[in-house]
Amino acid sequence: MTDLILKIEKLHKSFGEKVILNDFNINITRNTSQVIIGGSGTGKSVLLKCILGLIEPEQGIISYNNTPLNRDTRKEINFYDEIGMLFQGAALFDSLTVWENITFAIKSKRKSDLREIALDKIHKVGLDSTVLDLYPSELSGGMQKRVALARAIAKDPQLLFFDEPTTGLDPIMADVINNLINEIIDQVGATAITITHDMESAKKIADKISMLYKGSIIWSGDPGEIECSNNPYVDQFINGRSEGPIKINIKD
Amino acid sequence: MINYIYNIPLAIGSNVINLFAHIGKISIFFYEIIFCTFTLPLYFKTFFNQVIKIGYNSLPVIGLTAFFTGSVLALQIYVGSSRFNAESIVASIVALGITRELGPVIAGLMLAGRVSASISAEIATMKVTEQLDALTTLSTNPIRYLVVPRVLAALLTLPILVLIADIIGIMGGFVVGTQSLGFIEQSYIKNTFDIIQLNDVISGLIKAAVFGFIVAFMGCYHGYNSTGGAQGVGRSTTKAVVSASILILASNYILTSLVFNS
Repeated sequence: MTDLILKIEKLHKSFGEKVILNDFNINITRNTSQVIIGGSGTGKSVLLKCILGLIEPEQGIISYNNTPLNRDTRKEINFYDEIGMLFQGAALFDSLTVWENITFAIKSKRKSDLREIALDKIHKVGLDSTVLDLYPSELSGGMQKRVALARAIAKDPQLLFFDEPTTGLDPIMADVINNLINEIIDQVGATAITITHDMESAKKIADKISMLYKGSIIWSGDPGEIECSNNPYVDQFINGRSEGPIKINIKD
Repeated sequence: MINYIYNIPLAIGSNVINLFAHIGKISIFFYEIIFCTFTLPLYFKTFFNQVIKIGYNSLPVIGLTAFFTGSVLALQIYVGSSRFNAESIVASIVALGITRELGPVIAGLMLAGRVSASISAEIATMKVTEQLDALTTLSTNPIRYLVVPRVLAALLTLPILVLIADIIGIMGGFVVGTQSLGFIEQSYIKNTFDIIQLNDVISGLIKAAVFGFIVAFMGCYHGYNSTGGAQGVGRSTTKAVVSASILILASNYILTSLVFNS
């Protein structure tokens, strides 16, 4: 088995005349934490949805462990059993309790076993058993994110996806979530792909950072290199300046 | 002027393409429901929850509606039939009208308002909050988990609701007939049972099953294809209720014609 867990070649996706991903290429190495940064509307979420099979790209190949992914192969290799996903808004199921949410994807187990698994995962994300029987609407935003994180790791996945993990959280809670992500990646031994525009978060959780702009990767490197990337686009983005080569179209 | 000449065929063309795209989407959605219904796994717990939500919880609304419909029908038939000195047909017409027509249609329309809207809003909200995407990433087909149990529950419970509505509707006519119009209880009951045949009830129940399918299908379809955030949720709810109501009335005519012809 090669060291590459995910390989994306010449990915292209557009909505109508608007091109979102354009000749997108990336190689993700096993057991690394890859963070993809980029401004709003640069195609970060579309990229994740293409990998997860929620959107069909028009061109390009996405390979997982050397298997090109499509609707059929995702079923054949049980792709969804090997991944975990933390959605931006947590996306917990309102009608299910916390423990039912966490163990949702685990089939063929007794209720007592499922509660044991939920308890184990909830401890991993720093919560205790008192939340197990609560509904998502009874939890704070930070707790919802933690429960969603527990759900993402419920099946001990090989590949974890984080979509804007710190969006909507206060700085302290954002730091807590960042630490949790690092701990969990170490504990589970998974490869992580995170998309974010939060630079603090990116620097904290990344082994490697890539910047997405106009549908393509324009820079890749280690977190320590990003400050001296000599790339004007990266420089403008990480310093949060409105002046520079990245022009904001108000209509976007 | 030249612009108008170009714009008219352009508008017609794009509308025709949209129409066919819509028909295609509905057909694919229908096919996926049928495929998921006849393949494993089936989510029995979700199905039974929906039976309670769609069937049991709709009982008070449909019962009340049926009672007042039967009552009003008795009054109106009495007014009309008294012009021909044929007041004795009130019980018969109420029984036939309720079982063959008003029971299923009124129950279907009430269910369209109550259930189609709620299904559509629930699924559309799940879509907006990425819960549908979350289902997929958790190895669960959203159509199998969300749509099939709702469609099956509506399809199976509406006939039972209509059977109960038939009984309550006829009782409504009986109460008005005996308490307000002066009919003798025994003769009203005898006239009712003399006229009703098994076919009358069964044709109403077949209609009810079709209406149940339409109600859940439209709710799920519009919820599933909702776009545009909170406004989109509202739009899909309205579309679900309106399209379900129109389809119930249109399919009622088609089914009645088929029963007549047979």
